Amino acid sequence: MDKKTAVYICTGCGIGDALDIEQLKEEGTEDFTIDITRDHPFLCGQEGVDLIKQDIEGEGINTVIIAACSHRVNYDLFNFGQGVIVQRVNLREQVAWSQPAGEEDTQMLAEDNLRIGCSQAKDTELPEPFKAEEEYSKDILVVGGGLAGMTAALETARAGYQAILVEREDRLGGFLGKMKKLITLPYKEVSEPGAEELIKAIEDEPKVKVYTSSTVEKISGGPGLYTVEIKSNGNGVSERVGAVVQATGWVPYDANKLGHLGYGKFKDVVTNVEMEEMAASGKITRPSDGSDAKNVLFIQCAGSRDPEHLPYCSSACCLVSMKQAGYVKEQNPEAVNYILYKDVRTVGQAEDFYRKAQNDGNIFIRGEAANVGEEGGKLFVEADDELLGERVKIEDLDLVVLAVGMVPASKPDTTPRIKAPADAEDADEDGMIEVVPDSGFFANSALNLDYRQGPELPTLKYGFPDSHFICFPYETRRTGVYSAGCIRRPMETAKAIDDAVGAAMKAIQCTEATAEGKAVHPRAGDTTYPEFNMQRCTQCKRCTEECPFGAINEDEEANPLPNPTRCRRCGVCMGACPERIISFKNYSVGMIGNMIKSVHVPEEDEEKPRVLCLICENDALPAVDMAGIKRMKWSPYVRFIPMRCLGSMNLVWIADSLSRGIDGILLLGCRHGDDYQCHFIKGSELAETRLSKVSETLDRLALESERVKFVEVGITDYHKIPAIIDEFMETIDEVGPNPYKGW
Amino acid sequence: MENMVNYDPSFAEEVFRDVDAGDEIKMCMNCGVCAGSCPLREHMDYPPRQIFGLIRAGKREEVLSSKAIMLCTSCYTCVVKCPRNIPVMDVMHGLAHYALKQGYVPRKDTASFGKEFWKQVYRLGRIDEKDLPRRVFFSGGLVEGIKAMLNFMDIGLRLMLHHRMKLLPERKIKGVKSLQKMLDKAEGLGKGGAAA
Ligand code: SF4
Ligand code: SF4
Ligand code: SF4
Ligand code: SF4
Repeated sequence: MDKKTAVYICTGCGIGDALDIEQLKEEGTEDFTIDITRDHPFLCGQEGVDLIKQDIEGEGINTVIIAACSHRVNYDLFNFGQGVIVQRVNLREQVAWSQPAGEEDTQMLAEDNLRIGCSQAKDTELPEPFKAEEEYSKDILVVGGGLAGMTAALETARAGYQAILVEREDRLGGFLGKMKKLITLPYKEVSEPGAEELIKAIEDEPKVKVYTSSTVEKISGGPGLYTVEIKSNGNGVSERVGAVVQATGWVPYDANKLGHLGYGKFKDVVTNVEMEEMAASGKITRPSDGSDAKNVLFIQCAGSRDPEHLPYCSSACCLVSMKQAGYVKEQNPEAVNYILYKDVRTVGQAEDFYRKAQNDGNIFIRGEAANVGEEGGKLFVEADDELLGERVKIEDLDLVVLAVGMVPASKPDTTPRIKAPADAEDADEDGMIEVVPDSGFFANSALNLDYRQGPELPTLKYGFPDSHFICFPYETRRTGVYSAGCIRRPMETAKAIDDAVGAAMKAIQCTEATAEGKAVHPRAGDTTYPEFNMQRCTQCKRCTEECPFGAINEDEEANPLPNPTRCRRCGVCMGACPERIISFKNYSVGMIGNMIKSVHVPEEDEEKPRVLCLICENDALPAVDMAGIKRMKWSPYVRFIPMRCLGSMNLVWIADSLSRGIDGILLLGCRHGDDYQCHFIKGSELAETRLSKVSETLDRLALESERVKFVEVGITDYHKIPAIIDEFMETIDEVGPNPYKGW
Repeated sequence: MENMVNYDPSFAEEVFRDVDAGDEIKMCMNCGVCAGSCPLREHMDYPPRQIFGLIRAGKREEVLSSKAIMLCTSCYTCVVKCPRNIPVMDVMHGLAHYALKQGYVPRKDTASFGKEFWKQVYRLGRIDEKDLPRRVFFSGGLVEGIKAMLNFMDIGLRLMLHHRMKLLPERKIKGVKSLQKMLDKAEGLGKGGAAA
């Protein structure tokens, strides 16, 4: 594309008062070919926008550089359609609002920002959305036919899309089909589970195709282009789908591990699941002699919230025990139920049902079970009563129910082992190695994805699929695969329904976006994608290994085989590639390198240090904007270079900057670790890992390691920004100027 | 194990059934806000939440002979603060009445003061500030009475100086008969009736 570029400087919002605009026009653009340079007192007003439009129409301008407010505001006003490149330069939050007006350093900052923007615009090309050769499918595959799966399939169909529902058992229903009653919104009374109605609705729905007694043998391709091989009653069938919802549910925690609570020792100690099945089949009796159960004690958190067993809360078992206590009283109004609990966790409106259970006269004892035993044919439970501060004994019990928690169906009983890569250190004699939950090889078979990074969703430590918990709950680490219901986290039925609807909608969105060549969350709508200059690939496999979303497969010759529809456009592969052959139309190693080069580095005797801040544009950059909006002040020597994700940081930028005399490099990215906030899950962690290798570079240049620093910030940490910057500036002051200046 | 409390739901049933406001404690969720906010908790053997715990466990003796149920001063703090809207104070009074009726006298002085107070209200329709203390003081015998009188002399004199205590005995209010009717009726409405 032949570029005709115009620069528009807004002088509103205090920018005009802070800067010498004429000098800015001159200095900020002199290294670039700019066809028109204008300023306007109110660029986002109708007149200002019209001014730009006139130049586009009259002068053939196709690249518009807007030096004004943050790119996070007014993006809708400054959108001139597909054919026009828009580059924003921040002179407001990062300059006029956070720096003193009229100072030389403020002016230099603005000029550098404009140069960075001009350089970026120069290297930006118009994206061409990816279009696959095959036809796109918008059908949705739902794996698992319990409440969440059935709801997801039905919602998909009702939204006008074809759903394909695969269930392992010979009938739909899952746990819902085994329940006697349901407790759900508005949590006043129990109701009918409604499994039959749901199954009927699915049978009557032409847009849901059901495969029972079936398993998914293989899913290959990518969003919009998946081929699914299903084994149905022994026969192979093939389907094409656009996206997948995994709703494979949960299994109860194995009560055989709860011998200390009498399970397996006394017949009349049962789990909540066994209790439910018994109630559903008619009568609640003592398994030991078949007589009616009258006095029942429920042990809550049986194995749950216990580091030895299930360390987490399943959030449903409290409610379930209260429901089951109701069954006991219904069978015999004289019955006595004891509920022995650590805390009652009936969240939100469910508290109403807790009140009802209390009002019905069930006895809630706060404490922990210490011993379960038998005396004269009846059970007793000894517990440490927290209120009385004493050991108490509850006798004459017919039944003890263990409220066991939920384990995701994906969690294997024993950690699987796979063939270790050649360079693995902790492989056993047979060359096998234990897989980590974080890999696609950990989970039990459900999807059988034909992905280089493994057949299943990478999970968190307890076996639930990894997802960006706060912002994008249904997303997983496989684009186009969404998780819903108890496979995602333990939950009760009302939440599982919400989940199913949410995941179905995300799946539909994904098929639509993919068909238009657009990215899904969190870069929704992005039409760029990574392009590989294969001639120079050394088959080092870094991209295939580091992509957090398993987007890159491998061909027989070990070449990376990108699947653009699986890609989230994070740029992690671009940061990983030592050969620098991966780039986007508007984001590349060369482009960022040029932006860094466009920063003017003053001579040492000017005593004006320069610090580069590579900053994640998802959370850290908004935090800086916010600090600017709050009129916080920080050093004028910092130059911000936004990153799609810090994981796209390529070490070559660090080496180049330092050898050009930049005094320090600050990296601001999302929090990582167990409670990560990285929008691309692994990005900021990978950046920090890569950074640990930067010391070699520093050593080679004989520079101090303090010159490069990584800081984790959340979007709410805006108030910490000035301190983070000032602290780093102090360090730079201490180590002194970079000796490479002026070389 | 020795000293182990055996849970026995029958006392809880008794409280739910026979004690004024007794069934309200079913809804207690053991949060402890009442105990935390009670200004008298340091003087109580069992703060309200623990009283409720004891009831649940079936510890009849401990509850009915506890000081705590007699110490409640009707400050209303717990009632205002209880997240479950339990009238904790009413329950405490209900238990106190019930305890007296069952022949327990957890705090003799509090009990006799309550009785005299009640009798006087019933008889006069008001309180006589000289007569009430006198009756309470001498309820333990002549010597005790004189000691107590001497103890409170200072306060008494000052009250008189500020015209807060009249020398002459109080008279009955007008229509004390109607008041008595009302009180009788109210007493009949309570589960166990008033203690006096
Ligand atoms: S829901 Fe209740 S019983 Fe279940 S783990 Fe949580 S606190 Fe324990
Ligand atoms: S841009 Fe991100 S999601 Fe796409 S292939 Fe590269 S690493 Fe994977
Ligand atoms: S990281 Fe770069 S060199 Fe390595 S395999 Fe991927 S494309 Fe090839
Ligand atoms: S404040 Fe209310 S709910 Fe909490 S312990 Fe006291 S009575 Fe029970």
